[in-house]
Amino acid sequence: MTVDELSRIANRLRLDVVETVHDAGDGHPGPCMSIADIMAVLFFDEMKLDPANPRWAERDRFVLSKGHACPILYAALARKGYFPVEELKGLRSLDSFLQGHPDMNKIPGVDTVSGSLGNGVAIGAGMAMGCRMQGIDNNVFVIVGDGEEEEGIIWEAAMAAAKFKLGNLIVFADLNNHQSGGKVTELSSLYPVADKWKAFHWHVQEIDGHDIGQIQAAIAEAKKVTDMPSFIACKTLKGKNIPYMEDNNAWHKRVPTDEEVEIAREALRDKI
Amino acid sequence: MALKSTREAAMLAIQELAREDDKIVIVSPDSVAAARATKFREEFPDRVIEVGIAEQDAVDIAAGLATTGMKPVVVTYAGFLTMRACEMIRTFVAYPGLNVKFIGLNGGMLGGEREGVTHQFYEDVGILRSMPGVRILTPADGQQAYLAAKAMMEVEGPCYLRLGSGREPQVFDDGTPFAFGKIREVKRFGDDVALFASGFIMDRAIAALEQLHADGINGTLVDVSTIKPIDDEGVAAVLSRCGCAVTVEDHNIYGGLGDAVSEVACRLNPCRVLRVGLQDKYPRSGKAAELLDAYGLSVADIVAVAKQAAAK
Repeated sequence: MTVDELSRIANRLRLDVVETVHDAGDGHPGPCMSIADIMAVLFFDEMKLDPANPRWAERDRFVLSKGHACPILYAALARKGYFPVEELKGLRSLDSFLQGHPDMNKIPGVDTVSGSLGNGVAIGAGMAMGCRMQGIDNNVFVIVGDGEEEEGIIWEAAMAAAKFKLGNLIVFADLNNHQSGGKVTELSSLYPVADKWKAFHWHVQEIDGHDIGQIQAAIAEAKKVTDMPSFIACKTLKGKNIPYMEDNNAWHKRVPTDEEVEIAREALRDKI
Repeated sequence: MALKSTREAAMLAIQELAREDDKIVIVSPDSVAAARATKFREEFPDRVIEVGIAEQDAVDIAAGLATTGMKPVVVTYAGFLTMRACEMIRTFVAYPGLNVKFIGLNGGMLGGEREGVTHQFYEDVGILRSMPGVRILTPADGQQAYLAAKAMMEVEGPCYLRLGSGREPQVFDDGTPFAFGKIREVKRFGDDVALFASGFIMDRAIAALEQLHADGINGTLVDVSTIKPIDDEGVAAVLSRCGCAVTVEDHNIYGGLGDAVSEVACRLNPCRVLRVGLQDKYPRSGKAAELLDAYGLSVADIVAVAKQAAAK
């Protein structure tokens, strides 16, 4: 798929998120926008998947460690054909299978429970070990936020994945410098984050998380490294491409009004 | 078969099963020696996933392994497993119902004894009993632990096996069966009082039953080796016969066997249930037998509480 096509898919997913959160009346839209381009590349260009057979053993695995960004995961799964797009508006409601955070049994295409922050790297490491032990030639992709890297288990998992030389584990970090309570740089000493992963013996790349070509190139590079897990540090913008959401942490969890949905549609009209 | 301890026995069972099933792996947060899994590691060096001292990581890695069809067994000290990695067990294993097994070492005061409170774990059963979908096994000795470990691996989904210090006496004869989800009458002198016991203080419950008999009170001793799901019908039948009961466990009186039996009594056969166990306090370091005696788990304590129950 071309860079332009993938960029348009990313924006389609962004608008899906705005409409989903609006229709559902709940959810976290801001954290979805910063990973839209990574999601588009993974689900529509990179990952080996079969929507008709969601539990296909040979598939690539995906872990959305920052599970609160699930509206964009659900949008990607719907657009990929796992379930009808019309189901998205049921998000977080009792009669829908679309849980407030990802559920691997209720939602086709979801590979693990996630949403309690910090757990995705360890779960992804377990998946990578399990696939490797069974001779499955695939990759496990994880997206972590920057805020959740304040959790201790992230670093336990970083050590284990390096020890086991999990070359089939590729972690994207969505470095938008926002977390629920404010700026990551103000709330913690996480940054410089890439240096920390290097010190934990990961193969580290630093890219623009909104540059489709850079995302594709980083994945290609990461797949060449077979004796180290990969960490792709992605500089991103929270709320990217939705004018009133960009770099505005008020949109971490907030429902757009009818008018705000229209503004988003207008902003993305020529980009989808 | 001479099995020296619950730890050796359970690991022998896992090792035997691993020969038949290459999906069985051990996930260890620096617990191979403690779990008596060195022989397993010698036979299956690639199937011991040593993650270092990192219990949360161990449980999440096991969850990830299980999503791919592997059958991980996470083994480490009962409290570090169920307290430090509590949320990982609940959210990433029990909630999706993944096929991860847990073995908790040093269950109870008896397990931690001289190490002190940091290494004595009498909340593990209560913590796990409150999580939907987690089965809990508390075998009484090495031979039972061997059978319990095999039974655990036969069921699909999360299950916790509570083991002790590795110095437990064998209390049951070889050939004594283990039935998942069922209570077993150990000895019945009569129906004056029911003693429900679980785990490695079974020897004290047996001694108490004998002492009661000598004192003219004829009771029934029941081994509750599956705490969850509790054998509702079996427990209720014994309660119905005896009309009063005492529970005996090396666990806090809240959350464990005492509560489980009390809940059955409330629902199916209301009667007096008194609980012998740690009386909701933090104990201290000491030699195992002295420690149990000092904190209300002596044979004399069990006898006294049983007499109180039987007095009605």
